[in-house]
Amino acid sequence: MKLGGAESTLFALAAPLSVIGALALLFARKAVHAAMGMALTMVVLGIFYIAQQAEFLGVIQIFVYSGAVMMLFLFVIMLVGVDSSDSLVETIRGQRWAGLLLGLALAALGLATIGKATFPAGTGLDRANSQGNVSGIARLIFGNYVWVFEATSALLITAALGAMMLAHRERLSERPSQADWSRARIKSGRNVAGLPAPGVYARHNAVDTPALLPDGSTSELSISRVLKARGQVATADKELAISQELEGETGDMTRRGNGDDK
Amino acid sequence: MGEFVATKINYAAVLPMLIVFAAAMIGVLVEAFVPRASRYVAQLPLTLIGLAGALAALLLNSRDNQGITAAGAVVVDGPTLMFQGIVLALSILAVLVMAERLDREGADAFTQSGASVPGSPLEAQAERLGATTTEVFPLTLFAVGGMMLFPASGNLLTMFVALEVLSLPLYIMTGLARRRRLLSQEAALKYFLLGAFSSAFFIFGAALIYGATTSTDLSVIAKAVGQVTGLDSLLVPGILLVAVGLLFKVGAVPFHSWTPDVYQGAPSPVTGFMAACTKIAAFGAMARVFYVGFEALRWNWQPVLAVVAALTMVVGAVLSITQKDVKRLLAYSSITHAGFLLLGIVAMDRTSIAGLMFYLAAYGISTITAFALIALVRQSGAEATHLSQWAGLGRTSPVVAAVFAFMMLSFAGIPLTSGFTAKFALFAPAVAHGGVWLVVLAMLASAVTAFVYVRVIVLMYFSDPIDGVSVVNPSYLTYAAVAVGAALTLMLGVLPSPLLDAAKSASIFLR
Repeated sequence: MKLGGAESTLFALAAPLSVIGALALLFARKAVHAAMGMALTMVVLGIFYIAQQAEFLGVIQIFVYSGAVMMLFLFVIMLVGVDSSDSLVETIRGQRWAGLLLGLALAALGLATIGKATFPAGTGLDRANSQGNVSGIARLIFGNYVWVFEATSALLITAALGAMMLAHRERLSERPSQADWSRARIKSGRNVAGLPAPGVYARHNAVDTPALLPDGSTSELSISRVLKARGQVATADKELAISQELEGETGDMTRRGNGDDK
Repeated sequence: MGEFVATKINYAAVLPMLIVFAAAMIGVLVEAFVPRASRYVAQLPLTLIGLAGALAALLLNSRDNQGITAAGAVVVDGPTLMFQGIVLALSILAVLVMAERLDREGADAFTQSGASVPGSPLEAQAERLGATTTEVFPLTLFAVGGMMLFPASGNLLTMFVALEVLSLPLYIMTGLARRRRLLSQEAALKYFLLGAFSSAFFIFGAALIYGATTSTDLSVIAKAVGQVTGLDSLLVPGILLVAVGLLFKVGAVPFHSWTPDVYQGAPSPVTGFMAACTKIAAFGAMARVFYVGFEALRWNWQPVLAVVAALTMVVGAVLSITQKDVKRLLAYSSITHAGFLLLGIVAMDRTSIAGLMFYLAAYGISTITAFALIALVRQSGAEATHLSQWAGLGRTSPVVAAVFAFMMLSFAGIPLTSGFTAKFALFAPAVAHGGVWLVVLAMLASAVTAFVYVRVIVLMYFSDPIDGVSVVNPSYLTYAAVAVGAALTLMLGVLPSPLLDAAKSASIFLR
């Protein structure tokens, strides 16, 4: 079978793109780049389907896979953290090279045998689409393959159930209300007025800058412990210096240094 | 354009599968609407009734409704009914073991909160407030449904979907162990990734076969195989790739590397279920693919499968010698048994199919019983799976040790156990159909593994007990499962003819 000029041009342009996308999925260091590579491959596959007169399949490919599934991927990656990358340390020495060699051998073997096949003449797309593209698919799904189609529902239910079990943290107790928090604070007698707010300085205020205590030291309690765990807490020194300079100019604090009691 | 004709489905023939899937979906609804405290009490009877009802439907109804139905997607014939019946009977045993709760709120083997980080406050809170993971019951039912569809699949697409339906719940259940949860989660991830990989091989193979024969129907493929010219170079790689997907599921070398890790990490009752029922379903599907679909190409795949069988027996037997963990030991033993079972596929005769069915039933019963017992031996709350912890068990808990030793003897194939008759039923047709060297190898491998099993028995009876290892007192659920398992193992050894005759009369595939 011969391809038309336009179709072979499209294939020559798009096929390398899809291979590049697939390779990016394998070799990209960052998860976002890998996901984008995969999205590229899927979009190009959709284009191929449309070029082969399988419009429905192509549109579904682009809508469902590239659109919905890939965007879900990206959301997950962003929630997990864009910076997280895999550790590429080999636990078994030489495993990567051995794997690569065996993979290449398998690919060579597959290409060599499959390449030898001589295909009979194709029946042509017109005959395949004789009942209309979409209704042709519908006849297959709801006709010969209706049992498989129904069996897939068991797969989807299992997937949903599994996702709920492994990822959904069920709330086992009532969420404490503001009144509950307040009562607990007063009962414990610590931080009765609530935790101190983060630092507010003359030229800067941000959640990552700790507040100052009356003695001039910074308050650990005023910073979210998430920021502390991530090591994203800024120091207050610079803001303090600016504040002191401003206050010195206006004579507001009579340059007594930090704190009230000095 | 012709009028659309709805596909005819013989509902009487597929009724067992429909019952299992319906019970699974009701189980999901129970999870959604029944309060947490009464979920276990609702799920267990529902699951057992579902399985028993399906078995009853199979015995009473489907036998008289054999045939190819749903446009060739489902084939209900003798082997299908036999494999489905064995899966159903064994999964009832497995569910009894899974439901064991000792004196807790929920099933003891499963974590109370699969989503919590192991060792986190959330996990502790979930344990304190009595959260449950009763979702394992509908998941088991879905897996059983997939296992029933797998050997009944008349085309490769149905087979692929069935493969996924049976695998996905197993991936999830593997990661739900209550203790040593990180190990369990690692096992689940490994199983999932490797399983997805092997499924990809299967579907790639199916695509190549479709390319060569323009059909996924096994009966159409069987007719087309002899007629296509110039496309053998698509067919042969296709068959081998489909075989990879199936061999992975039974844990044959070189696709076995997941087995020890997953068997060790999964909750012991799930390991028993998985080891027994997945093997039955996968060997059923494999038999159908090779006997119905690719019979004409047997000169291409028979040598490959023979080599795989030989490798599987040897590697499984040799590596089982070095194992220090009971669950890993049984994992390698299951690899060896997979090698034996492959003889039934390679022999290519209806008597070998009967032997295959009998062996699968015998091995499955012993495996579920053995893993039920492993779940009972504890040290400071956790399962004591290291072999050294089993020392002297014969003195401290004579009953558990005696039943476990009996199962070991059955695995080894000692007379008066089901293992002996099963090995005889499987190896005799293999000798008759040109697999003598394989049977010799199988005998040698059996001798090696017998040494391993006997070593465990010696350890249990002739060593001093270790402090702190004790056997927990189970409820009637485990008692029932172990008693039935031990009784069946003995019965199939002493009086094998009812099952053997049933297998022989049900060993012809409908094409």
